Amino acid sequence: MGEVSRLAISAQLEEVRDACDFVVEAAEAANLDERAVYHCQMAVDEALTNIIEHGYQYAGRDSRIEVTTEHQERRFTITIIDDSPAFNPLQHQAPDPTEPLDSRKPGGWGIYFIRKLMDEVEYERVGGHNYLRLIKGIPETEAVPVPAAAAEDTFPVRHLENRSAVISPSGRLDSNTSPMLEKTLSTQLQQGNVWLYVDMSQVEYIASSGLKVLVSAWRRAHDGEGDVVLSGLQPRIVEILEMVGFDMLFQIYPDLDAALAANPSRS
Amino acid sequence: MVMEINVSEMKRVQLFEVIGRVDSTNASELGAALDRAADEGRTSMVLDLSGVDYMSSAGLREMVRVLKRVKRGGGDLRIANPSERVKEVLELAGLDTIFEIYPTQVEAVGSF
Repeated sequence: MGEVSRLAISAQLEEVRDACDFVVEAAEAANLDERAVYHCQMAVDEALTNIIEHGYQYAGRDSRIEVTTEHQERRFTITIIDDSPAFNPLQHQAPDPTEPLDSRKPGGWGIYFIRKLMDEVEYERVGGHNYLRLIKGIPETEAVPVPAAAAEDTFPVRHLENRSAVISPSGRLDSNTSPMLEKTLSTQLQQGNVWLYVDMSQVEYIASSGLKVLVSAWRRAHDGEGDVVLSGLQPRIVEILEMVGFDMLFQIYPDLDAALAANPSRS
Repeated sequence: MVMEINVSEMKRVQLFEVIGRVDSTNASELGAALDRAADEGRTSMVLDLSGVDYMSSAGLREMVRVLKRVKRGGGDLRIANPSERVKEVLELAGLDTIFEIYPTQVEAVGSF
């Protein structure tokens, strides 16, 4: 028995996003790579959307759908349980991706994607419930090489006067690289540098693991009467910060110069 | 705010810069934005997807629907700079053969 997480949502489209976030977090915790995490997110989105739009189209809004994730050694399994009428997506006629535009119908792609994106899909009808299992295999090689080495490294740091430092992370801040950011920021905080200017201009993507590192550094910096100041964020990263409300938490500036200029009285 | 669409005109091409997440809760907004331009007879369209970090089949559905519509009017809907993940999904659906896809916004606009 692996690590199991469970979430119940109402059968409403507005709740599908919460289920996606839940699955992304579990898949990242299971160390799936970014591509596999995306596939899991999309498969769950498509499956839940189908269930809500078709399975519950005549039902009230109080129906519940349960989403469970299980991480075993080499498998990450998402199970979706609902009590809408029996529907086996594996018997559904898939659309043909080679079909030309004129004869193509706009929809019908959800189930096709689920089957393409996941390694295994299983369906069962038990006790008046649909059980849909979406399985992603975890490749053997993944646990060993990169992350351990990455944790040894840190991102570039430039020290300034007045307990300040500029940190310049780059690339993707996901579960592989967030430990590196954590180590970089922690080292500065331990040295008493509580004004941390994180130049995000070279960061392409931030996952929840990266957000956690920033928030934890923000707390520690505030304890030491400093702050974490972000600058140069790409629009999609601003989006992510806004989604979780972190734009209210951090000082955010268009670029590093503006960030430094805005905090002249730090001491 | 989860999805933002910025509409502008560049060399008589309608440019739609989409930012954020496109899924079943907001795909119809994307379709409506494209339809508004088509209603005015502006059927040369570029959809810049560089800011889209996630797109479900609901988004693809709207894109295919509008593509069919503007093609009938002698126009086209072309895609600029999709992320690796979105490109993979376009390919899985066979849409990479139906949409013209360009690496940059400038190339997509210039292709008209």
